Amino acid sequence: MDINLAFFVELFFHVLGMWWVIVPSILLGLVVGAIPGFSAANTIIILLPLTFLMDVEVGLVFMIALYCSSRLGAGIPAILVNIPGTAGAAATPLDGYPMAKQGLGQRALSISFVSSIIGGVLTTVLALVTMPWLARVGFYMHSVEMIVVMLFGISLIASVAAKDMIKGLIAGFFGLMIGSIGADHVYATPRGTMGFLELYDGVPLIPALVGLFAISEAFLVIEKGTFLSKTNVQNVDNASWKETIIGVRITLKRWYHITWTSMIGLIIGVIPGAGAAIASFVAYQQSRTFSKTPEAYGTGHYEGLIAPEAANNGVTAGTLIPLMVLGIPGGATAAIMMVVMQYQGVPTGPRLFTERPELGYGVFMAMLVTYLLMAFTILPMSRYMSRVTMVSTTYMSPIIIAFTLVGSFVPREYMFDMYLAFAFGIIGYIARKTGYHVAAILIGVILGPLLEQYMLRALKMSDGDPMVLFSSSLGNMLWAALVITLILPAFFKRRRQSKAVE
Amino acid sequence: MDYNAMKRRQFLKTSAAAGGTLLAGGLMSSPAWAAYPDRNIDVIVPTRAGGGADRLLRAVSSVWKKHLNTNFEPGFFPGASGRVGYEVYMGKYQPDAYSLIFGNMGPEVLNWAVKAPSFDINDYFYFGRVDTDPGVVFVGAESKFQSIDDIIAEGKKRKLNVGTSRLAHPASIGILALGEEVGVEFNLVPLSGGKKTVAGAVTLEMDFCVLTSGSVIAAGDACRTLLVFDNKNLAGDKLSNAPTMNDYFGTKLPPMYSARAFGIHKAAADKYPDRLELLQKTFKDAMNDPAYKDAFLKSKGFWPYSNYGGVTECEEFKNAMLELGGRYRSLLTGK
Repeated sequence: MDINLAFFVELFFHVLGMWWVIVPSILLGLVVGAIPGFSAANTIIILLPLTFLMDVEVGLVFMIALYCSSRLGAGIPAILVNIPGTAGAAATPLDGYPMAKQGLGQRALSISFVSSIIGGVLTTVLALVTMPWLARVGFYMHSVEMIVVMLFGISLIASVAAKDMIKGLIAGFFGLMIGSIGADHVYATPRGTMGFLELYDGVPLIPALVGLFAISEAFLVIEKGTFLSKTNVQNVDNASWKETIIGVRITLKRWYHITWTSMIGLIIGVIPGAGAAIASFVAYQQSRTFSKTPEAYGTGHYEGLIAPEAANNGVTAGTLIPLMVLGIPGGATAAIMMVVMQYQGVPTGPRLFTERPELGYGVFMAMLVTYLLMAFTILPMSRYMSRVTMVSTTYMSPIIIAFTLVGSFVPREYMFDMYLAFAFGIIGYIARKTGYHVAAILIGVILGPLLEQYMLRALKMSDGDPMVLFSSSLGNMLWAALVITLILPAFFKRRRQSKAVE
Repeated sequence: MDYNAMKRRQFLKTSAAAGGTLLAGGLMSSPAWAAYPDRNIDVIVPTRAGGGADRLLRAVSSVWKKHLNTNFEPGFFPGASGRVGYEVYMGKYQPDAYSLIFGNMGPEVLNWAVKAPSFDINDYFYFGRVDTDPGVVFVGAESKFQSIDDIIAEGKKRKLNVGTSRLAHPASIGILALGEEVGVEFNLVPLSGGKKTVAGAVTLEMDFCVLTSGSVIAAGDACRTLLVFDNKNLAGDKLSNAPTMNDYFGTKLPPMYSARAFGIHKAAADKYPDRLELLQKTFKDAMNDPAYKDAFLKSKGFWPYSNYGGVTECEEFKNAMLELGGRYRSLLTGK
């Protein structure tokens, strides 16, 4: 079979012909993505018997559509009610939720959808073209390099804490401390578990996420009695289709921003074991560093919403590359896809492209078609979805708390996790009332354990020699880039100030 | 009409009927008189739903339920390398033979050697082994190492980094034993899970890796197996026709298996020996049932690894793991 343009065009229309699988999967994915605690991975596990019964081609298209749309769906509650349902959406509410609180929920959703779709399409096309080379990223990005990547994300603590550095750093340090709870990654010695076996594997992410963001927010809303001010209620009430179109325009104008932040997602996605959470925080941090208005981040800045959404959708294509090219899954959903492919007797790795190229390339084509179809299916929904913020807090706060508690329960099915979410809700509430940034805590909770894991691995490999951190050329280049990234904001600030004086 | 008498008669009749019903209900629900099993059996799985243990359990229980005439209800309690599931089983389930644990005798028993659980490890025992999957030494497809001899030769020049899913794993013990045998020191690096271990080998971050063979077979061409910790390489070319350690080096090491098995509270076995006997008999019947092979293959199991074992085989294996865990305790715990 010749792999040329005609092959790809034919494949595109062949996959498009499977719209009858893709459209329902998109709708299902949006729902499971929007419910905290659910994800494409556990939905595919639940539906695994059904997937086994499907023709392999249909099964893969079904899983891909579900995967892409659930990623996009996770952004909806993150923006509207401050509930990031997955770690990958944890950076989305930083600017998405302030927009919703200003009565600009519809615009925020529109920006989120368009940046996700464009980011997804761009990275999928890029993945199709450069797959063999991108797959090599995993051969160079080892523990040492990943430590530096983590530090890019963790340095965001300093950025979000810019208004009150001491409090921000305390919050970040507190998050890192919470992140270190659990058995250590080498000898499995439990630390700070307070005797709870449920904490042996570390603090579970979903209860921490929904507790810190959503439950604490619900407490505040109960206290204030409203989500939106009167003016902002009017904004939502008066919003027409125009708001969606404005959102589309704003996003299209920032095509360059989408391009490079989605590339960050793609590259991080290719690294086995890395994921959407790292990508979205790193993209947010990079976006802020090179912004002309870094002080606007966290207040409902468009670019602060575009960056994490474009990046976490860039990850979707990235995680499939090591599975398809090397035969090693890049993430949880890719791992389940591998099970299905093996069940159907489809090889993974290099043999896939020689024996079944239509399936190897077809997976990415399905991703492309899904993103294109999502543009027509989801964008019109933004107007109606944004109305959620108009629901009376009398109903909304209990619904948020109930949903988040159920969401905390779902991944491990432990009652303990519901109590934990509640405890994090109280921590979040106290933090907000006393001016500590919950996002700084969360960055520590999410990225801290990953940083520790890579750090301990690197040290174990070098017999404890700390110089291992500077032992690779690529790692050293990344260190230099990190230092530059940390210095640049101060440099830009000084330049802006001197220009203003002039 | 004497309404009071009527009411009294009605009351007496109703009371008698209610009492009879309650008594019958009480008798029926009493385990002492009922035929075992008169309700579903809970199976505690100390790993996540949807994984290999889940698929294997479904295959076994789909056949076993016909022989035992009851259903099995799985409950998944993942976490802490299996500790959570065992703690839940031993701490929260009554020892009445209506609950079983479906664990992995290899890594999970090694856990006890590294750090004792809150219960006495003799308070439960395994009575039905389902499969045995040996540990292997493997490299990524692009590795320069073509054979185990290459690894040993390189290991004599420098300390090699060996990826493993976790330190307390039979395959980790296997490689430590090999190092001892050939006089080479290996540096075990835990990579937190099978998929990451395969990735560690494929991306060449590790010099080589050790893992249960099933995960290596699943990785297909991405990996090349160099040594099998078993008495025979049952998977043949699926494991690159790699030699076994005992054959190649003339050692007498016990096989380093991951072995899934059903366990039960010792107290249940002591109190209800007839129930244990029925469980053992029907489990063995199920394993010998031709329908089981179909179910096993449907779950994408590798049939040569299906390996029935009773109490004796399980106990021998458990003791061997505890003994090996004890021997290498300092290397596994860093203390």
